[in-house]
Amino acid sequence: MLVGTADLQTLAVSAPSVPAFRSDTVTLAGVEVFQACFEMRAASRERPLPSGLHPTNPATWIVLAWRCAESPWGPFSLVQLRIGCRSGVRTRGFVCAAACDAAVAARELAACWGFPTRAARIMLSRRYDGCSLAVATVDATSLAIEAQDPDPLAPDDVQYTGTLTLARTPRGLRLVQLEPRTQLERAERLRPRLERFDAAAWGHDALTPYHPVSASIGVGRIEIPPVRFVCRPDVLAFQGTESVAATG
Amino acid sequence: MSVPRPFTPGTESAVFLNALEQARVADELGFDWVWAVEHHFLEEYSHCSAPEVVLAAIAAQTRRIRVRHGAVVCVPEMNHPVRVAERAATLDILSQGRLELGTARSSTWTELGGFGADPDDTKKTWDEFVRVLPRLWGDEPVRYEGRCFSLPERNVLPKPVQKPHPPLWVTVTSPGTELDAADRGLGCLGVAAAGYAEQERRTREYHRRIQLCDPVGAVVNDRVTTLNFLYCHEDRAVAAERGLRMLSLFGLANSHLLWTREAYPTRAYQSLGNLAPAGATDAGDPGAPRGAPEGICIGDPQQITRAIERWQSIGVDGINFLVNAMETLPQTQVLESLRLFAREVMPKFQGGI
Repeated sequence: MLVGTADLQTLAVSAPSVPAFRSDTVTLAGVEVFQACFEMRAASRERPLPSGLHPTNPATWIVLAWRCAESPWGPFSLVQLRIGCRSGVRTRGFVCAAACDAAVAARELAACWGFPTRAARIMLSRRYDGCSLAVATVDATSLAIEAQDPDPLAPDDVQYTGTLTLARTPRGLRLVQLEPRTQLERAERLRPRLERFDAAAWGHDALTPYHPVSASIGVGRIEIPPVRFVCRPDVLAFQGTESVAATG
Repeated sequence: MSVPRPFTPGTESAVFLNALEQARVADELGFDWVWAVEHHFLEEYSHCSAPEVVLAAIAAQTRRIRVRHGAVVCVPEMNHPVRVAERAATLDILSQGRLELGTARSSTWTELGGFGADPDDTKKTWDEFVRVLPRLWGDEPVRYEGRCFSLPERNVLPKPVQKPHPPLWVTVTSPGTELDAADRGLGCLGVAAAGYAEQERRTREYHRRIQLCDPVGAVVNDRVTTLNFLYCHEDRAVAAERGLRMLSLFGLANSHLLWTREAYPTRAYQSLGNLAPAGATDAGDPGAPRGAPEGICIGDPQQITRAIERWQSIGVDGINFLVNAMETLPQTQVLESLRLFAREVMPKFQGGI
């Protein structure tokens, strides 16, 4: 089976430090959750992933945005660029890049869970007939997605996969497994269109989204429970999974 | 028809030829049927995109074993209903009345997205297919105006040799689909790895409900079959080591499919549809392998006999065995397992289970 081929040394350069795994549950309230899924070109499907993870077939690129009204660090927006993958038999999204618009939240998200955040302006706007997401640094817009034709869904119809970040932890370089619980009050499915994506600006030339699959937007709350598992990024999950709860 | 990487020249051929040999041996040994399932684009997991061709070859090389064509994906972007009826009837003729047809709607985005099918519509198109197929086989000529396709007056040819028509099945992956099967008088082709209690509940409800069915065809198929794995060896430890390795690799390959619900939010796919005993998306230990499902037919003949007796006691009419996956087992071991099973286990279940 295919496994990732990303160079770990290169990935490690942008991996945040997590000095200690957060041991309490953090609740984010009043969160607008936008997700867009695109297929990526097959030729690059293994390149963004470390060798401990398997790519999906077809390769999937998922943009997940949270616009959070209430958090322990105040309002913030976070955008994650994720690669759909498998860790062992589990469905996961590997966060290869992220952007945050609030300095304190960005620092905490990196230090507690390893989100590789960069500072950016994030604009998630919702309209009657659709919504749009744009991420911009001082220089230029590096990501813009337009999504149209909202179709109401039951909140449970939208699925968010578990999250893996790569971080320098007390155990070394590890994939940190987050298991956020997203409880939506309402949800809609939309048709996404990728208006702009500058892969180089995000530091990942291997990201090659080209074929829109789906988008969704919902409103609700997110709970991030304590980290329970981390995995070595260089070996498959069956050999490289470590329980955080068992050993602290 | 799982083909492990690397895809070297001859790898696919070897898998297909092995499958043909397994079918020939199964026919000689007295197995009742062989299935070939339609899948597309599922690298490694299944390269069986033209099952009717595989089954035609099997039919030509065997005398007795029934050929079960399915599940055919009842989505018009993949298969026009007329073509399904034509191919199935041809296969029924070539096999001299040994065809049974399974129906399904596909569970993966890899397949549905590849053909540009709308996941919201697949349940509706499946329903339309199963209602029209018996008419395409039986009416001369047939005229049809429907939702996913229409047909001006035509005589769909050839006609199957089985009268009134070959038995129809539906693949049951998601909980609740067994009720769809029962309501339409279709056989319940269970492919999810349900345990004894869950299967007993589903089977009881299916049999209760099918008494009141409004059959889509001219004949009701009220049989229930389940999915299982088979590896039989005299030495229990050897059986466990080899069989569970096969099971584990199948589970791994299965969990790597891109399920529709994962990529495309929809009410039409309430479950992932994977064949694992436990969902793979839930939070949890990624290092933990999937356990062996309850009632698995991996072991020595005594163990397997006990498992089948238990399945029989809860009302299951037949078991579909996966006999290899990802070429984990060398062909000689697969054939030895089939022969030992036929010698030691099958005589205890003469007349079916």
